[in-house]
Amino acid sequence: MGILKDKLLKVVEKGRSLGAEYVEVRAERVSRTSLTTKDGKVETARQGIDYGAAIRVLVNGAWGFSTLSSLNNERLKKAVEEACSMAKSAAGKLRTPIELAEIKAIEDKVYAKPRKDPSEISIEEKMNITLNIDKNVFDFNPKVKSCTIDYLDISGRSYFANSDGTYIEQDKLYVWSRVLATAKEGSILAYGREEIGSTAGFEVFDEQTPEKIGNLIGRRIVSQLKAKLPKGGRFPAVIGPNVIGVFIHEAFGHLAEADLTISGSVLADKFGKKIASEKVNVYDDGTIEGAFGSFKYDDEGVPAQKTLLIKEGVVTGLMTNRETAKKLGLPPTGNARAENFRHKPIIRMRNTYLAPGDYSFEELLEDIKFGYYLKSFRGGQANLDGTFQVGIQEAYEIRDGEIGEPVRNLSISGNTLETLLMVDAVGKDFELWPGRCGKDGQTAFICDGGPHTRVKEVIIGGRA
Amino acid sequence: MEELNSEKLLEIGKRAVEKALRLGASEAEAFLCMGYTNSVGIELAQISGCMSRWEQGIGLRVVCNKAVGFAYTTLLEEKAIDETVERALKFARANKPDQNWPGFPSSTNFPEVKDVYDRKIVELSSEELISSASEMLENALSYDKRVLPIDGRVQVSTLYNVLVNSNGVEAVDEGTAAGCYLVTIAREAGEVTPICFEYDIERVWNIRPGQVGKEAAKMAVSSLKAKKIGNAKMAVILNEVALESLLYYTLISAVKADAVQREQSALKGKIGQKVASEILTIYDDGTLSGGLNSAKFDGEGTPMQKTLIIEKGVLRNFLYDRYTAKKDGVESTGNSVREGTDAYMKTPTLEATNFMIYPGDASKDELIEEIKDGLLVYGVQGAHSSNPATGEFSVVATPAWKIEDGQIAYPVKGVMITGDIYELLGNISAIGKETRKIERIVAPWIRADNVNVVS
Repeated sequence: MGILKDKLLKVVEKGRSLGAEYVEVRAERVSRTSLTTKDGKVETARQGIDYGAAIRVLVNGAWGFSTLSSLNNERLKKAVEEACSMAKSAAGKLRTPIELAEIKAIEDKVYAKPRKDPSEISIEEKMNITLNIDKNVFDFNPKVKSCTIDYLDISGRSYFANSDGTYIEQDKLYVWSRVLATAKEGSILAYGREEIGSTAGFEVFDEQTPEKIGNLIGRRIVSQLKAKLPKGGRFPAVIGPNVIGVFIHEAFGHLAEADLTISGSVLADKFGKKIASEKVNVYDDGTIEGAFGSFKYDDEGVPAQKTLLIKEGVVTGLMTNRETAKKLGLPPTGNARAENFRHKPIIRMRNTYLAPGDYSFEELLEDIKFGYYLKSFRGGQANLDGTFQVGIQEAYEIRDGEIGEPVRNLSISGNTLETLLMVDAVGKDFELWPGRCGKDGQTAFICDGGPHTRVKEVIIGGRA
Repeated sequence: MEELNSEKLLEIGKRAVEKALRLGASEAEAFLCMGYTNSVGIELAQISGCMSRWEQGIGLRVVCNKAVGFAYTTLLEEKAIDETVERALKFARANKPDQNWPGFPSSTNFPEVKDVYDRKIVELSSEELISSASEMLENALSYDKRVLPIDGRVQVSTLYNVLVNSNGVEAVDEGTAAGCYLVTIAREAGEVTPICFEYDIERVWNIRPGQVGKEAAKMAVSSLKAKKIGNAKMAVILNEVALESLLYYTLISAVKADAVQREQSALKGKIGQKVASEILTIYDDGTLSGGLNSAKFDGEGTPMQKTLIIEKGVLRNFLYDRYTAKKDGVESTGNSVREGTDAYMKTPTLEATNFMIYPGDASKDELIEEIKDGLLVYGVQGAHSSNPATGEFSVVATPAWKIEDGQIAYPVKGVMITGDIYELLGNISAIGKETRKIERIVAPWIRADNVNVVS
């Protein structure tokens, strides 16, 4: 390993000698195993070895970034030269030079300690688990027509060095799976999905057993076959942990990523101001052990932390990297993440959630004459101006304080800030759900969640 | 860009295939990439930096007893490749035989695809890229002081793909691409517009960053002072960007043979039936001159081709790769896709290439003029949460403008359009005459009547 450290330090030195005020280099040696099953057959099992590096430099306040799928010394030297010369050219057009917030230099080695290391589990066992999920989905009901499952594990190590004297070796370990299934009855087609993700190890399947996952999806899609279409309009709703999580992530979280806040998100002038009901407390936390969005150091070498974003309805924190932290005079929060060496670190969420309150599920429902219970999401998206849309794959009517019939093809939309002010009761339960989030062409592994939550009204779309 | 030598890649590929056969594979395929990407980024109204990406790698698919295994590596050295062959074999042997395995294709002639490689892109200097980005940015900034360009990029890339298989296919594809985009918002008196997006993308060096800058700024300014509107059924014009988002998760998903065979498509059994307005004709054309996804061969080594999907509203064909084609007893349509500079890391997937909506004869103004009460939509949000199995969608239209009495009246906010994609396609009443390329589609503006608008 000493050889790789020396390689990185040489790159840092070379960058400095070419006039860079800051140099960082990340190298990775990672093994990825993945497979896809379709209707009980393994389509392809894949394994890959990823070697590569990313070099980032600041020259006269402008970024230069080079990435290469090689750790060859000549290549590395050429890449750092290229990064420096490109940055130098770009600096000529710069209005405000980029500066970075100070952080303490760190030397650390972080090793993963899985109970079941995915790299030691045979491909046969990985196939078995996946095929077993498939079998459970199909066995649930003959109306199930298709099931596609993706499985992925990543294990390896990343090496980070920068010109501030930081050197970190950190294990990467992810286990992920996604199940997509459809059911059909007459002309009605129902569609459902679920994801599993962990940074702990392959033991995630001891808890999320194939039976449990298979039944969950089977039940979801089959119940949709009988579901009615929603009424369009504004209605009160009880939002389940899975949906409140994605709402907090999409509709609020992205706006609190400092790069997007500065870019004019609706939070731009709301720091320290009340934007949500006082029942609302929101965290982005990178320190939850084993959670899909957790890590010890981010890809700028900043320790991950638990960041309070909303306290009793008031915006108290933003997620930053070193660049935006400097610009805004805020602390670096350890949110700079890169999908792999092919990408530059950008501000990403980790595990983002609404903190629990003190209502029971029954108490949340009891005052609603007619509304919707939103249990599981299909997808979501938001815009800087605060408009959001979340598609729901499992929903029910609420009638006279009780859960009623299932509803399909429902989606909610609205304005984030208006909707956060509508939160009038927060449950005492709590769940965290793994997911993946796309931004600027990069995928990050994250979690989001919270308790069951009631909103006075939200716009219900679908086929009115 | 030195060392990008397809001869060398072919040699490495041939050797890997031979090695796999020697170690007991019944069939083998090597897919190699070498690529270089250079880009200049814009963040918050300034050029923020430059980026280069150099990538190479090899992906191997090997078959043992009708079971496939795949492995890749970024190291193109003999030892690393030998290990990769062994890993692929191990995975193939762990898998169960699939009686439907169609085998790799045999050697054949590949089509000539025009305007997909430009030497100028390969040789372009960082300075030229920076000055393009600068022109785009300055045009946006000087358009109106309320405009804030928040994100943008000018990018060029060169990619060599090589495919070698044990049935004699030895194919090389050399391609280039250049693109730019700018994301803007406008701000005035506490109001922030939704994000606006303008772009240009080509396979040769003739993008117009200056015009993109100006249009992105214009779009943001015209999105200021948005109003809410009520629920109604009205005519909706979708531009190429909105159409691409909406179609990708609905119609394009439904014409893939895999979805059809696995009961995930509302179009199953509808070949020969009317599924859209009779003015709608769609081809999938992997050989389109200058097409963003055009190439000589697909991810399995099948020649790219032009496939009629919808002819005057009638469904004619589905998209096939070799596996789904064998199941239906037809030929692959060349829609097995491996793309990107890191395509070697992936196994092929069934995808559209250039999904081309045939242009009509209406100018943009004519499309608008004929609407008494309607919506002009430049983007939709949330399309990925559509139900791909049924085509039902529910998306936020943003940015979007109200059309009243044949004129663009004012921008709207918080507007959703919902419905069923086949109902919308059936209600297409006019198609524009200018087409643009974006992602997987080539399309003009289209106008659909009676679309459900929820606010």
